Amino acid sequence: MDRLREEKIQKFEEFVDRRLKPDLVRAIAERDKVFEQQKVFSDLRKNLENLEKNSITSLRSMVNLGSEVYAQAEVPDTRHIFVDVGLGFHVELTWSEALKIIPAREERLARQIEEYTRLIAQIKAQIKMVSQGIRELLQLPEE
Amino acid sequence: MGEPVKGTVTSLSSIFAPEDAQKASVHVQEVISERQKEVQQLQAFLNDNTSLVNLVKKLPDQLHHDIMVPFGKAAFFPGKLIHTNEFMVLLGEGYYAERTSKQTVEILKRRGQGLESQIESLNAVIKDLKFEASFFDETATEAAEGIVEIREDFVEEAFDEDKATTSGDDDFARILSRIDELEKEELESELAEEGEEKEEADEADIEPEFRNLEIKELLDIPVSKDSHIKVPTPSGSNTPVMPVDHNILKEGLSHAPMSRDEVEVSTLVSSSSNVSSKTRVAASSSSNASSKTSVPASGPSNASSKTSVAASMSKEVSNFGSRSSNDKAFTGSIVEHTHNIENSQKGQTSAPAPTPASKPVSRFKLQRK
Repeated sequence: MDRLREEKIQKFEEFVDRRLKPDLVRAIAERDKVFEQQKVFSDLRKNLENLEKNSITSLRSMVNLGSEVYAQAEVPDTRHIFVDVGLGFHVELTWSEALKIIPAREERLARQIEEYTRLIAQIKAQIKMVSQGIRELLQLPEE
Repeated sequence: MGEPVKGTVTSLSSIFAPEDAQKASVHVQEVISERQKEVQQLQAFLNDNTSLVNLVKKLPDQLHHDIMVPFGKAAFFPGKLIHTNEFMVLLGEGYYAERTSKQTVEILKRRGQGLESQIESLNAVIKDLKFEASFFDETATEAAEGIVEIREDFVEEAFDEDKATTSGDDDFARILSRIDELEKEELESELAEEGEEKEEADEADIEPEFRNLEIKELLDIPVSKDSHIKVPTPSGSNTPVMPVDHNILKEGLSHAPMSRDEVEVSTLVSSSSNVSSKTRVAASSSSNASSKTSVPASGPSNASSKTSVAASMSKEVSNFGSRSSNDKAFTGSIVEHTHNIENSQKGQTSAPAPTPASKPVSRFKLQRK
């Protein structure tokens, strides 16, 4: 009986280590990505709001040509902005339009994050369950 | 080379378990793949660098370039590239350098060279790792096949040394035998001059057998315990009490030829420069009695010589053996034999001082007393 128990315990541990924990790691990584994107959009929104607030029509910036070699660039007219709407598309929008869709985009990202968070929680719960089972199995022999 | 060879035979699989070798090989393969990824990454950097150099070269061709200026990561502004000859290059740690197109190109080229050297070193590392992996693979296959590693202990060398010494002894014996032969030939010539044909014949007969036995007996001769050599009575009727070293040939020795053997042997022995009573006997060979007397006199000296020179003793024994087996009667005049022996004795290097060969008779008298 003890041998069986030990085998079971080993199986459970292996399950936890090989399946659940990597799943957890992957889920967390995906969520972080979405977090980043969300941050990007929120930054964009903030900048746009700033632009609008200060009525900045033109601006100069440094463009990274690659390998951190910058060249000067000038934006003569900031009214039109191309926003990434996914699937490799960028839509030309005015500020106000951009400011409308950007929050929508942000919201969508937030929902994605929530989903990932739920998944992560699920995996964590599974791990806890299995470890509890192992503990029970270990405790029983002691009794 | 017939000595048993001590060594260990270990199967490769015991030293390098095939599974371990395979695991090691797999591990090395992984490391190799990692390095290769790094090399690929560096190669990608190098490619980017090259394309950037081209771009930087082309930009100054125009005053302005229409571009999409990124605004963050998810938005673009349509705009223009201005000051097309001015570039800001990151030097590291937050330091930038404003450079023209040409200067930027130079900077980028230098960076490319650094990348290339890195790639080369990584390639060398990969090469070494590949050698290691191939070694592990070979070991794994060999171990699986059951190839056995044979190791011989250091003791082996001692054996080799012993062999060398024994072979050296053999060589020494052979050299001595050759010297004996030469001396015999000289003796024979002297005897011939003296007109002792019979002696020559006897000696000639003895010599080949002597040589054969000499080499045979060389390793078999035990160190004589008895240093004393008893001389058989002149009549030869009494069983001669041979010295221990001669005990080997006791059986084969007959009374009559004993003395003769002694005499003969002594002559031959003297020629071989062995310290032996027999040589003494040969010196006094003219008469059995004289020979006998000489034998006991040289007995003690013989004993010492026996212990010291096994080869010489073996020769003596062999001589006796040959003589006894031959059962040749010695009828040559002893007096003349003595002269010859005297001459040979002078040539001897034996330790005991050669008794005055010129007076074998007197010696004999002394001995008898």
